[in-house]
Amino acid sequence: MKNTRRDIFKFAGGAAAGALLTPVPWRLIKDSSLWSENWPGIPRPARGEIRSKTTNCALCPAGCPLRARCVGDQPVALTGAGCAFGVAAHHLPYHPARLRQGPVEQAKAALAKRTPSEPIAVLDLNPGRTASWTFRRAMAALDGTYISPDPNPIAYDLHSVRTVLSVGAPLLEGWGTPANVLAAREKFYLVHAGAVETPTAMLADEWIRAEGLPDPLPRRLLENGPSLAVGDAPGVAELNRKLGAPVYARPEAPVPDAWKKQAAPVTALDAVPARGLRFLLIDESSAVTYIPWHLIEPKLASDAVVITFAVSRGGYARHATYALPAPVFPEITEDIPAAIDQTTQVFRLAAPLVPPPPAVVNASELVAALADIPAAAALRERADFIHMQSPAHPTPDAFWQALVDGYIWRGSPSLPAQSSPTQPRPAHDLPLTAVPAPWTPALLSPLMTKLYEESNLRLPPNAVALNPRDAAALPSRAVLQTLHGKCTVRVVPDASVPPGIVLAGSSPGIRDICTHGDGAKVVLA
Amino acid sequence: MTRYGMTIDVDRCTGCGACMVACAVENNIPPAHEGATDRTGLTWIRVFKVGQAFVPMLCQQCGEETPCVGVCPQKAVEVDPATGIVGQMPERCLGCRYCMAACPYHARYFNWHDPAWPPGMEKTLNPDVAPRMRGVVEKCNFCHGRWHAAKQQAVAEGRDPAHVEYTPACVEACPTKAIRFGDLATLPKPPGSVRLLESLGTEPKIYYRSSKVDLRAGKEPSRG
Repeated sequence: MKNTRRDIFKFAGGAAAGALLTPVPWRLIKDSSLWSENWPGIPRPARGEIRSKTTNCALCPAGCPLRARCVGDQPVALTGAGCAFGVAAHHLPYHPARLRQGPVEQAKAALAKRTPSEPIAVLDLNPGRTASWTFRRAMAALDGTYISPDPNPIAYDLHSVRTVLSVGAPLLEGWGTPANVLAAREKFYLVHAGAVETPTAMLADEWIRAEGLPDPLPRRLLENGPSLAVGDAPGVAELNRKLGAPVYARPEAPVPDAWKKQAAPVTALDAVPARGLRFLLIDESSAVTYIPWHLIEPKLASDAVVITFAVSRGGYARHATYALPAPVFPEITEDIPAAIDQTTQVFRLAAPLVPPPPAVVNASELVAALADIPAAAALRERADFIHMQSPAHPTPDAFWQALVDGYIWRGSPSLPAQSSPTQPRPAHDLPLTAVPAPWTPALLSPLMTKLYEESNLRLPPNAVALNPRDAAALPSRAVLQTLHGKCTVRVVPDASVPPGIVLAGSSPGIRDICTHGDGAKVVLA
Repeated sequence: MTRYGMTIDVDRCTGCGACMVACAVENNIPPAHEGATDRTGLTWIRVFKVGQAFVPMLCQQCGEETPCVGVCPQKAVEVDPATGIVGQMPERCLGCRYCMAACPYHARYFNWHDPAWPPGMEKTLNPDVAPRMRGVVEKCNFCHGRWHAAKQQAVAEGRDPAHVEYTPACVEACPTKAIRFGDLATLPKPPGSVRLLESLGTEPKIYYRSSKVDLRAGKEPSRG
């Protein structure tokens, strides 16, 4: 039999048709789909032994207890945080904007050239820590100044009141310890005064849509006592005094007596003489507040050296002579000061979950080295002192190990506060009133973009929200202008913002020029 | 047979977004791509501001006449008869997005890009969930990885694997306990609870309660 070309084609066609009846094509489809799922462009999660570690969150003074789920030693999930920032805090060491290297040797050389007569200061943006006491001891030894954003911090007892007036305070949005505020919230009547429709305003029992202290005061506040007013607005401290509100000095865990004897006093930035600082060291590595640069800059001498310990280039690194990379949570062991709603002493540690990059600098150790103070074991020294005062554990080692594992030591309640008067605001003729968004940490997990890029739950950091009437003539990008400077911003029209108000995002550029109640205008770029 | 479901007390939700971030952490959902919007992003649970309330919105896990199941030409969507969870199989999905068009709750999302994390952040991915590739649809599956883990643990402990209790990531992260999860046979439903678009007959398994907004109408109740 002679095979023709037609036979070959018939055989090939028959084979192809017959192959459809075999598992081969289906296997190919399955394998190619599996391959496409696992092709090299898609990251593969690490495998390993699943472990669990406990610690406390150090992103803010709330210090929520955390349980970290780890693959080997690598944390892959955190539970226990009371906010969106804490849920993804284990991403912070890998943030693209993370500062990993800096001119450490040059900064040390500049500090080494300082003469004893040249004024030096430390600005501590998270006071109340053991590191803060190291700064104070070092400044005392160097005849320098220790500057705190709030020299007399206060604490509120939300559990002993029946009515709370929130004057622009983000009471239900990370103002205090989430679990504590939400537990107390069940028991008090909440009146919120503020122009912008914030979550606190939406969830309050009564919302007064006006900025500042309401006039007249809500009847509930006076008739349904005990009552309390919270917020930074002028008149709040005086109102609390009249109401006899439960306002206390912010409690601080016990400190060794030797430290107290050798510590520089806490100074407010306002008390620093103008152009009086030759060297300024700023610890913003775990900042819980932000002081606008326009308030710091007048205190610096013309040839001042500013050294900042930062986790990103976004904050004071933009203005500093040297920006040194600092560890970020959860890379080092540090203690967490008391929050605004905690009225008893607490001592708790944030234990490291991952090692820091090799080039980062611990601010307290560098400052302590300037004054020849041993600081590496300061935390342990304080823990031993606390254990000696109230031995809840059999040995200091057991107490320390418990702290590292997330144990929270609680001490005695604090004393009534000495409130300080609020500063009047400068007059202006700008048409809008600025209302900044609540404070956020300097570094946020990249997953926070879910909240402000892929939904409108939060205002993007570099944006301002305006009433559609105020935003009508503006393009999507414009310039925010206040008495303190200008900043290019994204404009978001939002009908929930009343006319005459500009709700400002939390980017460092905006925070530098804009505080609550400032006059502002938004103009074409 | 277990029927997992949720109750969401809208009055307790503060709009903090912890559920959205916890969901992204748990299910290896990448950060927003450059230029991502609410239409092109991936958020298995999304909190919407409706009037003066925050309404968390996720796959409603329809029980009957599940619209996405019927339209899928690839059988990539299936209702698990053991749990009632509507599952999405990315290996089968060809990306036609019929299911997205069919979903009355707009709770399905399409991968427009390859999943990408900043360098180093891949180390923090959850080992129990595989990242999905570009070109497939994904959605909430009540943290199926956690259900599997709970089932395995039940087997190891000699318990009945058909009735396991576990907690999805959004429920665990909610600081106000606005979201509760469990077997619908035993999960207490707050008085006045409603299911979204109930008239369509899809039998969703998420129950909402609110005194602030009329969730049936999707708008605020009239005042006075």
